[in-house]
Amino acid sequence: MLIKINGKVYNGHDGETLMEVAKRNNINIPSLCYKKGFEGLGRCRLCLVEVNEGKRKKIVSACVYPIRENLEVITKTEDIIKMRKDIILLLLLRSPKNEYIQELAKEYKIVSPERYIQKENDDCILCGLCVTACEKLGTNAISMVNRGITKKVSTPYDDPSKDCIGCGACAEVCPTNAIKLDENNGIRTIWNRDFDLVKCSVCGKYYATEDSLNFIGDKLGSKEDHVCEYCKKKSLASKFKKSFQNIY
Amino acid sequence: MSLEIIKKYPNEKRFTLAILQDIQREYSYIPREYMESIAEYLNLPLSDVYSLATFYKALSLKPKGKYTIKVCDGTACHIRDSKSILNELLEVLEIEAGETTEDGLFSVEVVNCIGACALAPVILINDKYYGSMTKEKVKNVLDSYREVSTNE
Amino acid sequence: MNDISNKRKILVCCGTGCLASNSYEVYESLKEKLEINPNIIVQIEIKATGCNGLCEKGPVVKIHPDDISYFKVSAKDVDEIIEKTITNGEIINRLLYFDTNQKKKIINHMDASFYKHQRKIALRNIGEIDPLSIEDYLERDGYKALHKVLFEMEPMEVIDEVEKSGLKGRGGAGFPTGTKWRTCSKFEDYPKYVICNGDEGDPGAFMDRSIMEGDPNTIIEGMIICGYSINSNKGYLYIRDEYELARKNMEFAIDKARKLGYLGENIIGSGFDFDLEIVRGGGAFVCGESSALMASIEGNVGEPRAKYIRSVEKGLWNMPTVLNNVETWANIPPIILNGANWFNKIGTENNSGTKVFSLVGKVKNTGLVEIPMGTKLSELVFDIGCGIIKNRPFKAVQTGGPSGGCIPKEYMDVPLDFDSLSKMGSMMGSGGVIVMDDTTCMVEIARYYMEFLSEESCGKCTTCREGIKMMLNILTNITEGRGQLEDIHILESLGKTIMSASLCALGKTAPNPVLTTIQYFRNEYMDHIVNHKCSAGVCKNLTTYFIEEETCIGCGICKKNCPVNAITGSLKEIHVIDEDICIKCGNCFTACPKDSVKIGGAAYAY
Repeated sequence: MLIKINGKVYNGHDGETLMEVAKRNNINIPSLCYKKGFEGLGRCRLCLVEVNEGKRKKIVSACVYPIRENLEVITKTEDIIKMRKDIILLLLLRSPKNEYIQELAKEYKIVSPERYIQKENDDCILCGLCVTACEKLGTNAISMVNRGITKKVSTPYDDPSKDCIGCGACAEVCPTNAIKLDENNGIRTIWNRDFDLVKCSVCGKYYATEDSLNFIGDKLGSKEDHVCEYCKKKSLASKFKKSFQNIY
Repeated sequence: MSLEIIKKYPNEKRFTLAILQDIQREYSYIPREYMESIAEYLNLPLSDVYSLATFYKALSLKPKGKYTIKVCDGTACHIRDSKSILNELLEVLEIEAGETTEDGLFSVEVVNCIGACALAPVILINDKYYGSMTKEKVKNVLDSYREVSTNE
Repeated sequence: MNDISNKRKILVCCGTGCLASNSYEVYESLKEKLEINPNIIVQIEIKATGCNGLCEKGPVVKIHPDDISYFKVSAKDVDEIIEKTITNGEIINRLLYFDTNQKKKIINHMDASFYKHQRKIALRNIGEIDPLSIEDYLERDGYKALHKVLFEMEPMEVIDEVEKSGLKGRGGAGFPTGTKWRTCSKFEDYPKYVICNGDEGDPGAFMDRSIMEGDPNTIIEGMIICGYSINSNKGYLYIRDEYELARKNMEFAIDKARKLGYLGENIIGSGFDFDLEIVRGGGAFVCGESSALMASIEGNVGEPRAKYIRSVEKGLWNMPTVLNNVETWANIPPIILNGANWFNKIGTENNSGTKVFSLVGKVKNTGLVEIPMGTKLSELVFDIGCGIIKNRPFKAVQTGGPSGGCIPKEYMDVPLDFDSLSKMGSMMGSGGVIVMDDTTCMVEIARYYMEFLSEESCGKCTTCREGIKMMLNILTNITEGRGQLEDIHILESLGKTIMSASLCALGKTAPNPVLTTIQYFRNEYMDHIVNHKCSAGVCKNLTTYFIEEETCIGCGICKKNCPVNAITGSLKEIHVIDEDICIKCGNCFTACPKDSVKIGGAAYAY
């Protein structure tokens, strides 16, 4: 189906969200809680755009808005920019010391009223990507806890979780680097739990937790050699090179 | 035994809240081991059950007193000065809202509207409503419960 | 023996309000004593009914056919009632209701100011029947509408009728009920579901509770009718956990209806199957939002989702679903039975029918009131509510719960309907009407609602969670004396963003109480910020009490009412309040017969 974004016509598929079409066509819609391959969450509210379906204009969040035939979209209006600024202001009050939020605030030229800055900086903006990543992996070690202004992400009872495999996927998807992941002497510490790291059999560097390798091994039903991503790619590349040489 | 409470329900996810509520009713809170039993029985991650248990206000992770005093702070009660009743209760019992007295007799909670607005301000002790409360009545009401408890 | 009739009916109100005032004791005592009393030769039926509305004056006992209504009855009065009224037909003056507007005692409650303006449709049976008796319901035309629908009407005819009636959802947003049903009926995915939203969460509203407790069968009947018209065979009732009596009565009614063939397979031989299941809510205001409610039934955390695809298409378990609130369901059987035209004539254009309001706060008659849409607000507060307690100056009413707004006394002529209230920046909501007098601080009320919502927001989206937190911080500052002029601007600007940018209706309406109080009571905000004064005497940092020398008569009433002995003065001499001892409870202010106690601003500079 055809939709119009900022005056230009684009092609979209039934069931796609506005964000997916925009991303594919390199149209920038700011967002913190959207990640390619993940279902839209609609939590951070930064991806607000104006849509016109013929009836009337409305403000929607692009990451969860399913496209429809003849949709007309504007990604930047005065109102939308004002709202984005307010949203970034709210995030800045919550996470005044977070460099990613500070950067956003700088981009939108936001200065927060000194009196209302939260004293305790919270890097987590509750976008929910970490919880979704953990769920996708099938480990389900963390979840959203409490509600309202006391909502947070944690393991049950804030204790080390036996379901956690220390894979670090949560930290990797976090847009504000809010999840603490420390590595020291072959031990990774995350979500209050220590994990033994395993060395790559090729380069000898620590590269993954034992629990995560076992988890993947169990899932695939086979034990693989302990080789890190970097070395795997390297060996793949050299195999390519060899086959290349054989052709000529 | 709570396993019986759990098994009263088919092992479908939609009964999680109902099971938690039954356990809450029985024990006045959700003991950790039962949270784990529910997760196991329903074949859900513990984090899911925990998420649910911390979201809904009807559920508590901490034990409650023998008598739970709910002080309604719905709008009707609020503008008829429910705060002064709360303050009196907390002063007499020497606890903060959300806490339980040392002897385990009373817990005080502030709740949003319990739908008895015409009798505002209202407090609820276990299942009994006290309408048109005043802070002067607080001591007497508490004493009546202390008496019942010592005579048991 | 005054034998005016050979059959008498005594109705004892056992709604939650009256139960709280020990009405069940009255019921049991009446029952027990009437059974053993040898002087009683008339046939007496005694019933525990649902709520009569005027809860504050309960327990209520009504005697038919004499049409005598007694208020504030206690078990101690039972002997006298039996001896004088039941046996001798005498009226006990002491137990009659005193109508402050008519300035006289009222024998039949229907003549009282509180009742005579009412028109009952949704509440038609409540207070008249035993909620646990399906026979009582049947006697008052119960399940006749269902019969008509199942045997005389096609599903589309049912939808036509509901649509033509103009009924709008009574839960808050006021979406046309018939349109909702019609849209859902067009989707061909099965199974479809019917849901009753009984998670009444608006603070200050309790009409749904009263209907579930007092007339459960009307909800059941309404839901079956919808099920038939959209081709659904399964319904859920989501009932607030706190409403135990409502749940018990609903449960009992469902079992009984099933036994008599009104629920289950092949309903009254029609070939149509429909059944109901009760789900207990978990205590979360946000679960009144339909998508959150459905998530909760599914066993998930009650977080709303974006409703770009509506729940009539993909609702519960992603199947087509019709969700209506309790009061809406209670309107369905009368509409079917009497026809859309009958319903349409009640109320105003575009706002047909009646609405139940819970009239609470600083008003003399508090309770549940059902009046035609379009009735003026002043009529509700002054004609029905009989004005303000202690005749204090009236300031405002708050309608629509936390999503609603505050309407000042200058707009008392506003008709109570969906459109007029929205125009005022408030909303109908579920029908809470909270009356406020001069001792209610409008800034503090706005702060109160933000505090409520900060706990009750699900916390999913930034604007709602962080925005409400920010507004709460600002309002707390203002009420505690740290406000600055820029704060009003921040509140207004942020409020607009929260309204447009939030994910669900909770966030989209959350700023209403703040924005309407700024709109109509800006002077109170200014007073707090600039003059450091709370003229209502609520914000303690911004309040001092003093006694006006010119008018003090030295009666000593203030002194007697002061809990901390802060007031000195001999009889017939001017009294003085010691500011250092005063705890600002305001007892002297409300007690003074001469209004000599005045409220001043902050004792200390901020």
